[in-house]
Amino acid sequence: MLSIRDLHARIGAREILRGLNLEVKAGEVHAIMGPNGSGKSTLASVLAGREGYEVTQGTVTYQGHDLLALPPEERARAGVFLAFQYPVEIPGVNNAYLLKAALNAVRKQRGEGELDAFEFLALVRDKMKLMQMDESFLSRGVNEGFSGGEKKRNEILQMALLEPMLALLDETDSGLDIDALRVVSNGVNSLRSPERAIVLVTHYQRLLDYIEPDFVHVLSGGRILRSGDKSLALELERRGYDWVKQEASAA
Amino acid sequence: MSEPARLPVTTQYREAFDAVRPSLRGPETRRASAFARFAELGFPGAREESWKYTNLRRLESRRFAPAAREDALRATVSLPAALGEHRIVLVNGHLRDDLSRIASLPQGVRVRTLAEPLADDAVAAAVLRWPAGGGTERFAALNAAMSPDPLLIEVDAGVRCAGALHLVIVAAGAAGTMSYPRVTVRLAAGSLARLVLHYLGDETAEHFVAAVVDADLADGAELHAYRLQAAGSRSFHIERIEVSAGAGARVALRDAQLGAALARLDLNVTLAGRAAEAELTGLFIADGSRHLDTHVHVAHRAVETRSLQDYRGVAANRGRAVFNGKTVVHEGAQKSNARQSSRNLLLTPGAEIDTKPELEIYADDVQCSHGATTGQLDPAAMFYLRSRGLSESEARSALTRAFAGTVLSRIDLAPLASLVHDELDGRLVRLLEQQP
Repeated sequence: MLSIRDLHARIGAREILRGLNLEVKAGEVHAIMGPNGSGKSTLASVLAGREGYEVTQGTVTYQGHDLLALPPEERARAGVFLAFQYPVEIPGVNNAYLLKAALNAVRKQRGEGELDAFEFLALVRDKMKLMQMDESFLSRGVNEGFSGGEKKRNEILQMALLEPMLALLDETDSGLDIDALRVVSNGVNSLRSPERAIVLVTHYQRLLDYIEPDFVHVLSGGRILRSGDKSLALELERRGYDWVKQEASAA
Repeated sequence: MSEPARLPVTTQYREAFDAVRPSLRGPETRRASAFARFAELGFPGAREESWKYTNLRRLESRRFAPAAREDALRATVSLPAALGEHRIVLVNGHLRDDLSRIASLPQGVRVRTLAEPLADDAVAAAVLRWPAGGGTERFAALNAAMSPDPLLIEVDAGVRCAGALHLVIVAAGAAGTMSYPRVTVRLAAGSLARLVLHYLGDETAEHFVAAVVDADLADGAELHAYRLQAAGSRSFHIERIEVSAGAGARVALRDAQLGAALARLDLNVTLAGRAAEAELTGLFIADGSRHLDTHVHVAHRAVETRSLQDYRGVAANRGRAVFNGKTVVHEGAQKSNARQSSRNLLLTPGAEIDTKPELEIYADDVQCSHGATTGQLDPAAMFYLRSRGLSESEARSALTRAFAGTVLSRIDLAPLASLVHDELDGRLVRLLEQQP
């Protein structure tokens, strides 16, 4: 589904990704872990198409297409979803409006008709129940005045509604208490299916207790230094990241 | 061969004044002294501070003829959808009885023009007054000299006219027509009126409209005013609104400055009595090559007075907008509260908005705040919306609507609010279609 080959990317003059390789197949859940500044969020931003990142080398192929050639909205419509680390507050843009516009944009791409107001509301209520969100969130501005946890729930609500093929979660667990973490994880797990892939970018192993990954990768210095199964995450939790770096430089 | 010397612009207007003079009603001497004041001031020079960003050379270079009464009374006008229970139509400054609908006005509300006998000359003189000072004094004086049907709207003490009075002020007829609509509103103590000032005109003809609105609020009176400036895209629109509020009186003005090629509004509010209050909010959209200039001046002259100025501007393409908001808290106006906010959005690189908030305080126990910003759409918000599948133009449109939304939500007159929303949407669609 997603194939990243020798990806180099920079912000301004600073090179952050330095030859990153990653293969993600449908049905898989990958966790990308790494110390601060290793390039985790840059990877998520480059995949979603955020401005300001320049890809200088390498390719990203998504479902056989050059992902990097697409503007952000076409990536979204093609089924790529980024749950933001810091969701933006957009006062004045109604949450329900955004959910509906986003849903209709992806439905159109899939060749499905637009939902009418009634169908939309029924669907969104269902997903809000899953995310344990009050319906009053619908009439508020996008993320406006939401707490950190509410913003993250709102991200996963959008994801649950849009049913992406490839979900990228950028530090979705940061700033969540244990109850919110459980709700968010439930939302993510509800999307697990043989057709979909999920890439979790995270700093801590904690999230992986709830969303069990098939693969764990250690990102450091803009490259994946080590890959393994979920036991690698536990080892990282125990031993930190330094030994991975040391072994990599020794090799 | 040398060019013939160009006549001073006031000569052109003197000829126009002389031509209409025999048909004008009201005290002749008053008209003459009003014109003399205009001639004395002339058009603004390049150095005049309040015209720093707005150049009238193009207006000066054009020749305009006053609208003839017969033409104005005969003109076919397509009226806009009703924005109130009652309607008065002025075509080129002339009252159109046939199109107006004022029989529905409640008792205690009177509408008259100088065409009808007024109680005395003092009333007529009061209707034909012009405010001293400010960049538009000259045009207010010119209007006082030329206005064919000065309109006087009076509400008796304690009468509350909750149904809106929709003033449809149309510029019609051949290109090169100038007109001078004038509205005087007198609200007696404890009365209430809702007034919609709706300017519109031919989209293709070049007109010049110099309008004056003069409102006097006695103690405890309340004026809810709404202004929709939707003049034709080739026209010049200059307007002076003067409001004076007595003790406990309250004025709320919701402005939408959307039309004309060049528009200038001077809105001057004097909070003259204890605890008088003004809430002034507005939106201007300078798209295409429009030049829209809004000058607001609020004078706190009594204790416990309150004012709010909340203005949002949008400019795009070669559009240019000017906002100058001035609040003066005069000596002795203790415990006053003045807030001012000017936020501006540039949608495309060529556009420009000049904003200048000014605050002068001569009292020591007051609460004042002001702020002004000019910027572009937030790239982080743009990316967020696009990452959810919204196209670039949908995202821009949603964010621009959100920007305008806070002032538009203050328009508590439903049909007007939806009209302005539709107009904004239409502008955005046209604007964003032009984007690559």
